[in-house]
Amino acid sequence: MMTIEEIRQKAARWLLPSWDPTQLRVHTDTTDYFGVEYGDVVILNGNPYLVRQNAKEGRFGVDDEVKFWVKRAIDLQTGDAKIIKLVFYERFFSHIGGIEFECFRSPRKEARILKLVVGHDHFMQGFSVEDEKGNVVRVLDVIQGGPLSKYIESLDMDHATYFKERFPEIFDRFLACVKAIEFLHEHGEKHGDIRRDHIFVDREDNRYRWIDFDFNYRHRENIYGYDLFGLGNILIFLVGKGDVLLFDLKNQESPHLDELEDEDLNIVFHNRVANLKKIFPYIPESLNRVMMHFSRGANWYYEHTAQLRHDLESVRHELGA
Amino acid sequence: MGKKANHDKNDDKVFNKNILIAVDESHNARRAVSYVGQLLGGLKGFKVTILHVVPEPEEDYFPTEVEKERWLAQYVKRIDALLEDDRRFLIDKGFAPDDVSTRSTIRYCPSMAECILAERDSADYSTIVVGRQGLSRSEQFLFGSISSKIVNHARKCTIWVVE
Repeated sequence: MMTIEEIRQKAARWLLPSWDPTQLRVHTDTTDYFGVEYGDVVILNGNPYLVRQNAKEGRFGVDDEVKFWVKRAIDLQTGDAKIIKLVFYERFFSHIGGIEFECFRSPRKEARILKLVVGHDHFMQGFSVEDEKGNVVRVLDVIQGGPLSKYIESLDMDHATYFKERFPEIFDRFLACVKAIEFLHEHGEKHGDIRRDHIFVDREDNRYRWIDFDFNYRHRENIYGYDLFGLGNILIFLVGKGDVLLFDLKNQESPHLDELEDEDLNIVFHNRVANLKKIFPYIPESLNRVMMHFSRGANWYYEHTAQLRHDLESVRHELGA
Repeated sequence: MGKKANHDKNDDKVFNKNILIAVDESHNARRAVSYVGQLLGGLKGFKVTILHVVPEPEEDYFPTEVEKERWLAQYVKRIDALLEDDRRFLIDKGFAPDDVSTRSTIRYCPSMAECILAERDSADYSTIVVGRQGLSRSEQFLFGSISSKIVNHARKCTIWVVE
């Protein structure tokens, strides 16, 4: 275990020259996560972590939201960058397409999943440790890369080129993510917050990795329904190279607009097109059929991820190399 | 006239008069109880069990075990009152007090429908009665429908879904 003096010396390397080492604050109780600030050190299981900044999360063009319970930190033993998630409980009602459901955040859930997915290529990696007050703190490896959504949006090419040249590989990588969620479900765990920006593209090996497992929702009849909905939304986003919105089609005076019917729209988000074959006719019928399970016209829904995975696998050969 | 169906051994199956009404705190569940009361109240031989499966919350739902126990205690108290209210309703409609029982059981239910069907399997009920939840298509898609799943998965019994 490092002495306070050793901690001071190591911390000084990472902080501004103006930082006063005599003011070093060391936390072994992280209950008050607002009180854990830049330049502080958190000691977990004897290991010191230097806090550098609060993490932020942006979505749909909204300014980044500061997550005060999530700290970017340095493991002072190894010098590795880490993300430290302190304990933050919240329970609230979320609304999606006018439907209300109860959500909650659970550090224990994330800790459990981290243990379950150790060494799995398609999940963020890390471990959990209790601080001296029993708070379940998660110490996560930093994924060098960014959200899948930003990657897709950054691709500067027309849809036809994208679909022919880039989509097959993206599809394969996404399929691996679907299998990863199937793995969670097989072990009785939900991801809980499946979103396009909760897949990170790891720059090191281009793998897609799921992040953020601390969210949960109170399920009703189908325990995995909301996770499946998330997977369907990402699939449609990837196939469409972004959301295909009625609003945009109107603005573009798209000739496809008149062909669209209610049943072609997303079953929950009624402003998004799910029947993308009507917009991009070269999309294989088999792939479009999978997406139509998430449309207003669907008369049968996926109940298990294995069903979706099976259908996606059978589509693969129609996408080219 | 259509072709006469071959005789099947199930044609002679004897259905008992034991009825399981699965309820929750919703209006549609109350309608299911009301339906049974109006339809069968005063008739001899029918025995009714009013069932509520208390969905044990996932361990993650509460920060501490104490909070979970407190929540469960309050929930069970509320459900006991609801079940007693339903029982009295059926007696008022003409059921003999000995023919109406209540049961609440705490279960972890990844699927409520399967929990209800497991209750049916544990006793001999020829009929299960549930209320239709009246979910929109979007809600059914996101969260599933208990009554639909019961209808699809039930075996060896008849399901009444009360609108």
